[in-house]
Amino acid sequence: MSQLEFDCRHRFPGGFQLDAAFQTRRTVTALFGPSGSGKTTVLSIIAGFLKPDGGRVTFDGRSLCCGRNREFVPPECRRVGMVFQDHLLFPHLSVLGNLRYARRRPAPGREPIGLEAVVDTLEIGHLVKQYPRQLSGGERQRVALGRALLSQPDLLLMDEPLASLDAALKSRILTYLERVVGQWTVPVLFVSHSQAEVRRLAQWVVMIERGRVIRSGEPDEVLGTPEALAMKNSTAPLNLVRLDRIERTGDHCHGTVGTQRVYVPFGEDKGEVPDPLFVQFSPRDVVLSRRDVQGLSARNHLTGRIRQIVRLPQSAFAAIDIGQIIWAEVTADAVTEMQLELGTEVVCFLKAHNLQAVE
Amino acid sequence: MNVPPLAFLTPEELTAVRLSLTVATSAALLALPAGIGLGYLLARGRFAGKWLVEAVVSIPLVLPPVVTGYLLLVLLGTRGPIGSLLLNWFGIRLVFNMPAAVVAAMVVSFPLMVRAIRLAFQSVDPRLEMAARSLGAGRFRAFATVSLPLAHRGIVAGWTLCFARSLGEFGATMLLASNIAGQTRTIPLAIFSMTQRPGGIEASWRLVVLAILLACAAMIVSELLERSQSRHEST
Repeated sequence: MSQLEFDCRHRFPGGFQLDAAFQTRRTVTALFGPSGSGKTTVLSIIAGFLKPDGGRVTFDGRSLCCGRNREFVPPECRRVGMVFQDHLLFPHLSVLGNLRYARRRPAPGREPIGLEAVVDTLEIGHLVKQYPRQLSGGERQRVALGRALLSQPDLLLMDEPLASLDAALKSRILTYLERVVGQWTVPVLFVSHSQAEVRRLAQWVVMIERGRVIRSGEPDEVLGTPEALAMKNSTAPLNLVRLDRIERTGDHCHGTVGTQRVYVPFGEDKGEVPDPLFVQFSPRDVVLSRRDVQGLSARNHLTGRIRQIVRLPQSAFAAIDIGQIIWAEVTADAVTEMQLELGTEVVCFLKAHNLQAVE
Repeated sequence: MNVPPLAFLTPEELTAVRLSLTVATSAALLALPAGIGLGYLLARGRFAGKWLVEAVVSIPLVLPPVVTGYLLLVLLGTRGPIGSLLLNWFGIRLVFNMPAAVVAAMVVSFPLMVRAIRLAFQSVDPRLEMAARSLGAGRFRAFATVSLPLAHRGIVAGWTLCFARSLGEFGATMLLASNIAGQTRTIPLAIFSMTQRPGGIEASWRLVVLAILLACAAMIVSELLERSQSRHEST
């Protein structure tokens, strides 16, 4: 298993300082944190675009940079592929020209990633004669991913691969990413500020804030820390639940989590429902009760036991095992009044319209 | 009837036209590699003394061409610091001959070329080269296959500006190359020589019109080149 070790310091003229250290051995690692926390700087240092003031980066025991001037492997010799947030396809080359740009041979012992396989997996065969300006955002993202894969990388870096896409495209690209990871097992380090993306893709999370690594570990563990639960705006906590055994009925569908059925609105115009189906929702949309209540408009009544309670200054979060862990945000008073404790059985009420299907 | 091209010109005028085209083409071609290199360096480079390089490159734009010619004569004259070395080591004379006219045209028109090329490189996203390098391209390949083709319009424009300015060069050429018929007498110098003779103002109109036509033709050719390139890219 490949191992990436990062321990670097760098100060920018504007005053921002990165002082981050982490290591990962997992196939898919997420660098998670709010905008301006230094995530892209970390990628730039690993890719060789930025020479840090100090520290070292090693991958698979190979030193990529060490100290300011002692050792620095140029980007073209690192075998580190990069998918940029704004794709950076070469505008004067066709899609095929972009895909063929990399001429590297695969590393010894590694299976070559072939042009045809990449074109098939990413479904970009019909685009090869077009130029980047003729492509949609999602198509550009797939071509950029294919181009990076064809450079036969030992490590693939992705800078907010889904940031510039709308919700429907995001989920399609996620599917392609999962295919790529499954097919070629290239280690991936991706930057994200969405907890749902991290839960869906990552096996390891490195959480960064103000240029420092504040946590790293398994997604459920890291995203269940007070630091992650206290995040706001685009990095705010978000539940992601996988539903299996999907059954469609008119404008909605049912799926199961554990042994419980979940009702999800799914417009008939949206076509076929994927199986499994991922749904995301905010912990604020979960209402807790000690017992089931009939006659409510909320379609989903899911029973589970509390596995963890995290108290923050403004509120409290309860992790409930309904077959998968989901988080509910409640007031501190509610925790006291309802006598919520570890192991307490609760019912989670979820309005169907608060569930966002990640198609 | 078989009419030779430009038959309406006198042999003296025809020589001046040929000489002007040769000098301007040579100057623009010889300046091009340095123009691309310096344009790229000034667009992308971050180094101490960059302002000094910029100032030195731009000086011929603001100096009277006669002063540029004088300085070139001092440097390249057979007793000058560079001219004496060239003569003693390589047997090359860069004064009062056609190569001297090329050098004078090059120096005077070089800043225009560098400015156009620098602007062209500045309009290319430098991160595209980073993307190329992450795909395994070395510095030179990233430059040659990404930045250079994307900046080609500015490079063509820079070459044309340099060519057109070289066609019109007078002051520096007069001092460094002198006004020798058949050797250094380009169109502007030929017009000057004619106007010094009795009735010369009337006699020189053909060359004046030709000079205007040549300048316009240079601009039109550059425009057509640009358009054909952009059509090629959009298909």
